Formats: sequence, C-alpha cells, structure tokens
Amino acid sequence: MSFLLDRRKFLLGAAGAGLAAGGLISFPFGLAQAAETKPITDRKLKIALSNSFIGNKWRLTMENLFKSALQMEPYKSEVEGSWFNSGNDVSKQSQQIANLISQGVDAILVDAASPTGLNGILHQASQRGILVVSFDNTVTEPTGLKIGMDEFNFGVLWAEFVAKKINGKGNVIMVTGVAGTYDDDERNKGGDSVWAKYPDIKVVARYTGMWDSAVTQTNTAAILPTLPKIDGIWSGSGTDGVLKAFVEAGRPLPPTAGTGENGFRKFMTKDGYMGQKVDGLSFDDAPFESVIALELARAVLRGTYPRGNVVLPAPAVTNDTIEVGVNVFPDQPDSLNCLFTDSGKNALVQFCIDAALNGTPCEGKLEVRLPKA
Amino acid sequence: MPQPKRKAAWIRLVEQNAGLVLSAVLLVIAIVLYCAIYYAAQGRLPGGFELTTTVNNTMPLVFAGAAQAIVVITGGIDLSVGGVIDLTNALAALYLGDSPLSMVLCTIGVIAVGGACGLLNGLLVAYGRLQPILVTLATLAIFQGLAIRVLPAPGGSVPEAYTAILANFEAPYSLVFIVVLLVVWALVRRTSIGVGIYAIGNDDLAAKSSGVKNLRSRVTAYVLSGMLAAVAGLFLVANATSGDPTTGNGYTLRSIVAVVLGGISLFGGRGTPISAVIGAFVSTMIVNILFFAQIDPLYQSFFEGVFLVVAVLLTAIISRLMRRRAVA
Repeated sequence: MSFLLDRRKFLLGAAGAGLAAGGLISFPFGLAQAAETKPITDRKLKIALSNSFIGNKWRLTMENLFKSALQMEPYKSEVEGSWFNSGNDVSKQSQQIANLISQGVDAILVDAASPTGLNGILHQASQRGILVVSFDNTVTEPTGLKIGMDEFNFGVLWAEFVAKKINGKGNVIMVTGVAGTYDDDERNKGGDSVWAKYPDIKVVARYTGMWDSAVTQTNTAAILPTLPKIDGIWSGSGTDGVLKAFVEAGRPLPPTAGTGENGFRKFMTKDGYMGQKVDGLSFDDAPFESVIALELARAVLRGTYPRGNVVLPAPAVTNDTIEVGVNVFPDQPDSLNCLFTDSGKNALVQFCIDAALNGTPCEGKLEVRLPKA
Repeated sequence: MPQPKRKAAWIRLVEQNAGLVLSAVLLVIAIVLYCAIYYAAQGRLPGGFELTTTVNNTMPLVFAGAAQAIVVITGGIDLSVGGVIDLTNALAALYLGDSPLSMVLCTIGVIAVGGACGLLNGLLVAYGRLQPILVTLATLAIFQGLAIRVLPAPGGSVPEAYTAILANFEAPYSLVFIVVLLVVWALVRRTSIGVGIYAIGNDDLAAKSSGVKNLRSRVTAYVLSGMLAAVAGLFLVANATSGDPTTGNGYTLRSIVAVVLGGISLFGGRGTPISAVIGAFVSTMIVNILFFAQIDPLYQSFFEGVFLVVAVLLTAIISRLMRRRAVA
C-alpha cells in the first residue's frame, strides 16, 4: 500500500472521516406518529420555555416569573420545567427546539426570535404531538397555539378613558412608541379610531417616546412650552416621563391613560408623587404571559381547557383599584414594570415582587385564571 | 554528507493541511462529547432526527462559512455575508412560487443576485483599493436595507417541495450539497483564478510579479463569496419554510466563527473553505453540548465564548508546534 496520497485523496479522506464520524450517530430514521391529543393525567408534564432575546428587563422578568411559577403549586408537583435562551439567533433557537423535541417534552412555550423563522422546526414538533404555545413574539406556524394581548384595543381603551374623563371635549397629546413596530402601529390606530368619534377632541401634539421614559420626558419637556392647556394624555410609551415633564413645567396633571411604569402608578396613589396626583389608567403588555402560557399548556395537556388561541384582557389599574404593595411599589424604582402581576378579583395571575426580580417563589399557591374559553 | 531524511508523505500532508486536520479533530471530539452527554441525559444515542435537524440547522452556516472563508483566504474579510443572506432570504420567500420552473428560475436568480452583491464588493475592494472591512461594512447596511425594502415584514412562503429538497425533515439529504460544494471548490482551486486567490492572500506583490491576475482573482473571490452567501440564504428560508429579512444578520459574525473554528488563518493565504464547513458543524455541536449539559441558560453565551477561546487556542498551539517540528 502506497502512502503517496495526493492532495485530492487527502481531502476526500478527510471528508470521509467527517461523514464517518457523523455516521456514529445511529440510524435509522423514523418519524414518530403524530400523537393523539389524549389528556395526560398520570404523570408530570415536561414543559420547556424557548426564549430568544434575554437582554431587556421585560424578558428577564418574563423568565423570572416562569421560574418562580415552577417552584409553586400546582406547577411544582405537576410540571418538570426547563428554559433556554438563544438570543436573536434563529438557527440557534431552532436547534434548541430540535433538542427539546429529542428530549420528548410535552409542550414548548416560545417567545420567538422570528415570527416565521421557526416554522419549520415547530411544524416538526407539532407532527410529533408536542404542544406549541407562542406568546409575546408569536409565530405564524398554524398548528401551534398563541397567547396575546390585543394591541389595537390597548389604544382604544386608553383613548376611551381620556375621552370619558374630559367629557368628549378638549386638547389631548399622544405619546407614541417605536415607529414601524406592530405594537406601536396597532395602539396608535386604536387611539385614532376613538378620536374620530369625538369631533371636539383635538390631538394637539403627537410625538414619539421610543418606549423609554427618559426619551418621553425629554421630548415632552421640549414640546410643552409650545402647547396650549392640555386636558388629557394618551401615552403608549414611558408615561412616568411624560408626567415628570409636566410637573417640572409647573403644569397640572390632566387625566392620563398609559403604560405600566411604577413611576406612573405612584402618581395615581392616594398620596400622589412629587407633590401631584393624577387620575389614571395604567396597563401594558405583561411579562406574566409566560406563566399564562405555562397554565394554558398544562390545562390543554390535562384536557381541562380546549385547544385554542387566547387573547388576554388588558390588566388595567385605575385610581379605584390601585393598591400599594399589590400593583404599585413605592420603595421600588420608577422604571419597574408593574405588569409582572395582575390585580383585582378577576386577576389573571398575581405575583410577589421577589418573583419578578429574582425568580423566587411567592407564598402559597399560584392561581392562574385563563379567560373563559 | 548524509542526505536529509525525507519525511513520510502523510506527515507532509498533515502539515500542509494543519487547519483542516485540526478542525476535523475538533469536530470528532465535539461529536463524541455530544454523544456522551446526550447518552448521559437521555439514556440513548442521538438518532436520525437529531442528525437531520443538526444538519438542516447548520446548512446555512456551512455555506456562509465557506463564503467567508474564500474572502478570508485572499487576506480580506466579508462583513456583508449577513446582508446578502437577508436579501436572498427575502427574495426567495417572495418569488419561489409553486411550479418547478419558478423554483429553478428563482434559485438561479437569487444566486445571481448574491453574485452581483459580491461583484460590487469585489470591484470596490480590488479596483477602488478600499479596505475590505470598510467596503463590506457599508454594503452590509445596503443589503440589509434592500432586504427590508423587498420584504418589509416576515412572511412569504416556501413550497413544501423546495423544503423537501434543501432541508428535508426526514433525513439529512442536504449533506449531498456539501459534497457538491467540495467538488466545485476542488475544481475552482485548480483554475488559475483559484491559484490566484491563495497567491494574493500570501503575498500580493509576489503574486503579481509571478503573473497572477490579482484584480481578477480578488473580484472572483468576492463574487464566489456572494453566491455562496445566497445559497446560505436559500437553505435558511427552506428550513424556516418562510422568509424573514433580518434572520441573516447574525451570520456575519457566525461565519467568521466558523472560519476560525476551521483553523483558517485570518491573515490569508492558508486554509480551505472545507474546514469552515467543519467549523460550522463544530459551532452547532457547541450549542447541542451546552443544551444537554444543562448549563444555566443565562451562562450559555459565556460558555460558548469559553469554548471558542479554548478551540482557537488549541488550534494555534498545535499548529505552532507543528510548524516548529517542520522547521526542525
């Protein structure tokens, strides 16, 4: 046998070695039968969360709440949970979901890096009888379930609140979010649809707050001197920043409908904040959607809730329902997103602050109320 | 005086292809480690499904890595790889159609668009005498912008037949395309342009004085890179079954990672795109290993970084040792 290999043979050999190494992985192939959706009642459920980006507070809170829920009953004894982050890397999230399929999980909860990029692998998950529930950044794959909030309706509810408080007459400002995003578009459209019904309401200013309280404060402070008396505020973005700019300009705070920052809610409390009080309506997209997804997966797998998409009601707080330590937290920073918990007697779910900040369990049992199917 | 002893042919071959050998060894280690960890976690070895999804999820990076490698071999770098993938992903999602003819035409068209993107890079770098890193940083933004223009929101659809060919869910048939890539590269490598690509990466001036057509070789390298990136875009869209004009973004950096894991010198003139292919698989294996090792997800990127540094260090140390032996 000659050792006079030429370069070509060497390359082919190397390629062959690579393929042979790949061949170590055992064959044959076989597609598992699409499992019948019989309720699973006799064992713990394996439910995994496949998250994409983790680099902002909303996502961190979302994942913390998921972790917290897994340590509380009924999930503690009923669910074997796991969670993964892939960053905004679709191939990586796709590969992680493939690994979850290998693990034979019962359900995969997805906050996706792309609404379309995971469709291939999620389709394969569904084919293997795995329940897919997407939330927040949902996917377009048709066989999975989706949980969402109605962003158009957010805009409507905010505008209706303001319109009612000012008796359908007066000057309002609209502080919008990040232009070009779906959520911002829908919220603005919802707001505009209501203004169209009130000819006496004038939108005297409309500017972006980039979903950032610092930006809303700067932009509001810049535009305020040019504005007449403002009778109402519609703010889809950093509402606490808007109100602070009003306070600094020495203006009274008109009725305000907007997002869920702790700073905004401090103004809504009985004692007010920075010397002023506001009549407000506060809510936003809620990080506890991960836990709603967990409950939906559990209930569907157990056969106690029908398979179907879920639209969550807006977890709204007004001056009548605001409660220190429950949905506003005076000792926490203004930037805290209070939507880690819902409140009131029809609350979707209620969490303690430690769950949001550290992913630790709260006392007692966790009760998640899915909307009536 | 005694003649210096001639080294055995295989030793010389290993030395000449140090990067390739090292990346292959790295891949074997990664696969063995993955199988071991998988077995420990699951009580069985990975099977057809695992192989298929691993291959399908790696194919875009295989071609993106090869695209990057060709430019790196010329001593350049192509940051626009991600932008070309975005653009071609968007185009394919819109125009693949349903008939075999439209699929073939769209595929050819998309690869041609990739080639045109590469041509723009190549002309600016070769004739404009601009730094590759600056040119491709600018064209990255241009291609990303075009992609958003073509497909403003994620959507479009890929016919099932197309997915079945490029990213078959049943079996890793797409490995065939790697063989095609190997064959095509082996042919290109033998042309004068192919020789030129290595020559200019080693020493531009020396290449020129030995009769290498420098400009033509350089432009061709970028065109090939653009076409390979377009193929990566096709695999990405086929595996996703739908388009997204931003999912290619990450491939600029990931393709460089694949090149580095493939043991290709960023100084140019050495290595082969084939080892970038191997590097791509190593990179997916790292994701798999970390998954089944049950590392806290918050530390995953940290460990990915650590793996990368260790792999690069290993490659550097071993190739330095080999060179020292070669000199001695």
